[in-house]
Amino acid sequence: MLKLTAFAGRTARIWNIAPSLLRTSPSLLARTTTTTTTTTRLLPFSTSSFLNHGHLKEPNPGEGLKITFILKDSSQKTYEVCEGETVLDIAQGHNLDMEGACGGSCACSTCHVIVDPDYYDALPEPEDDENDMLDLAYGLTETSRLGCQIKMTKDIDGIRVALPQMTRNVSNNDFS
Amino acid sequence: MNSAQIRYLSSLINRKTVSIIGSGPSGFYTAYHLLKKSPIPLDVTIWEKLPVPFGLSRYGVAPDHPEVKNCEETFTTCAEEFSPQTDKKHKLSFVGGVTIGKEITLETLLNNQDAVVLSYGCAGDKKLNIPGEQGTKGVFSSREFVNWYNGHPDFAKDKRFTDFDWSKVSKVGIIGNGNVALDITRVLISNKIDEIWQNTDISPIALNIVRKAPVKDVKLIARRDFLHSKFTNKELRELWELERYGVRGCIDSKFFQKGMFDSFKSDRVLNRRVEMCSEYLKPFDERSKKNYKKASPPTSGYNKFWELDYLKTPLEINRDESGAIKSLTLCNNKIQEDNSLKLLKDSNNILTYDMDLLITSLGYAGVPMLEFSKLSIRFDRDHVANKQGRVLTVTGEIFPHLYASGWIRKGSQGVIASTMQDAFEVGDRVIQDLTVSGTLSSEKSIDLSNIKHSTWVDWERINKKELTRGQKEHKPRSKFLTFEELWHNVEEV
Repeated sequence: MLKLTAFAGRTARIWNIAPSLLRTSPSLLARTTTTTTTTTRLLPFSTSSFLNHGHLKEPNPGEGLKITFILKDSSQKTYEVCEGETVLDIAQGHNLDMEGACGGSCACSTCHVIVDPDYYDALPEPEDDENDMLDLAYGLTETSRLGCQIKMTKDIDGIRVALPQMTRNVSNNDFS
Repeated sequence: MNSAQIRYLSSLINRKTVSIIGSGPSGFYTAYHLLKKSPIPLDVTIWEKLPVPFGLSRYGVAPDHPEVKNCEETFTTCAEEFSPQTDKKHKLSFVGGVTIGKEITLETLLNNQDAVVLSYGCAGDKKLNIPGEQGTKGVFSSREFVNWYNGHPDFAKDKRFTDFDWSKVSKVGIIGNGNVALDITRVLISNKIDEIWQNTDISPIALNIVRKAPVKDVKLIARRDFLHSKFTNKELRELWELERYGVRGCIDSKFFQKGMFDSFKSDRVLNRRVEMCSEYLKPFDERSKKNYKKASPPTSGYNKFWELDYLKTPLEINRDESGAIKSLTLCNNKIQEDNSLKLLKDSNNILTYDMDLLITSLGYAGVPMLEFSKLSIRFDRDHVANKQGRVLTVTGEIFPHLYASGWIRKGSQGVIASTMQDAFEVGDRVIQDLTVSGTLSSEKSIDLSNIKHSTWVDWERINKKELTRGQKEHKPRSKFLTFEELWHNVEEV
């Protein structure tokens, strides 16, 4: 819980973002969260690869790296994954709500995640092309990154990332 | 077309029906979201006026940005997984080559479907409305030009492009300051750099013609200032990075100087843009950061130039005796306190720029469907009037079962990611309404047996052929450029 509070405090220092976005991340992250375990949902109709894009490898026993996702409803999911997998692959492989509109090629901002500041500095710095895409991300914070550009390594074992609330700036057209 | 295609349309048994007009990113992302999230079984049909899908992803995205088109993979998976021939919870059908409002009316759809979503984007041009804009050779709108180089069947062989004398095009003017203006600048200023274009799916007709132009100067003309430029940093960076080929960018110190924008320090996007321009405007060796020194200009120096030009309003396009563009008359303007523009029309402020080609890139304009007035659907300037995606009538009431998503909902702005987000939000409202509404007890069906149309299976055939042709030419794809070729690959009824 201590780490989570720190995470929330740091992300409150948001860069230049519309005031309507300021309420998103901190409140999301400060809320008490419950960890749920993943089970395969049984659907009355046949499921398909459409609902499960990724093909993740199972890590060898004892070699798995841990990653925790904080979802939009504040629940948390922790997975053991192989070194080298990207956050986008992991999220899609587990059917989390993360799009990769450009297929993970750093050409859109749909896999935007907010990284726990305790892990942010352990990541290699974002390149220009990633920053150019982060420019366009909703709910940008100081520790925002693109999921497709974060590769799992031993340095970030245990990393925690939050999916941003998809709050959009309200435009005049919404009331037209 | 096969009989199964008809069968699904006539057997609307347990599923609620949704029709989406338009198969570009907004239409397909709306469908994707509905299929992914709807708790009730759906039968979704995407209607497309061209025989092939994907709209602006196929015909709008610049050919040297293939990664942006990767959204098509998601759309394809969606169409395959929910093909009407399978036994999935939902069904998704694609009907191409059918224009809603012509072969089938919007009213018919509204009478037969539980929900209809307008996702047909913006198929018109915003205009300058100045003398010479119409009928002058060498004056094109950005939509026409982009569709032409992307091989859109309405434009690929358009004589206005193919008959124009490109061998004299040295000076180019582009009016507008969005990403499309930058895309067009990139295409024109790097027209002879084969390594950028030869392995893309750019229309070979357009490439061969544009390559002939001895383009030297491209001026991007904006009515407002640097602060108001609409392009994104990615596209601007790409232009600066062309310096490795001897292409140099310029901004007059009247419009851009370091320190000019210090009061906007908290604006991340502007800040990064200011740093980028300040650094790139310095001579290569004097730049402080290594990311602005990725590749040095050729030893021969710079031989092509693009320029960001601000605070000018075009007044008149002037022609030579052959009817081709000769120059553009403009006036300076200034931004007033209430943010409106004041045109300065005294002789000191009138200018003439010589130019051989002018592209107006003021944005795509939404066009109302003819039936809107009959159905009392309200259209505001460039988009369908709506409240959070629910379409409004002329009296401001919600029009039942009718929605709008993407550019036709908000106007032509934003990248595919923003259109995706918009489509998801509208999709949620459709699901919300469908969950509480009763099913239309409609025995009527939409009979396609006498309407020429393409199906997803036809598209798969066309796609495969285009990919195979492309492979032979070391390109990701070689598009069919005419309706004739496209329809030739569609199975007869």
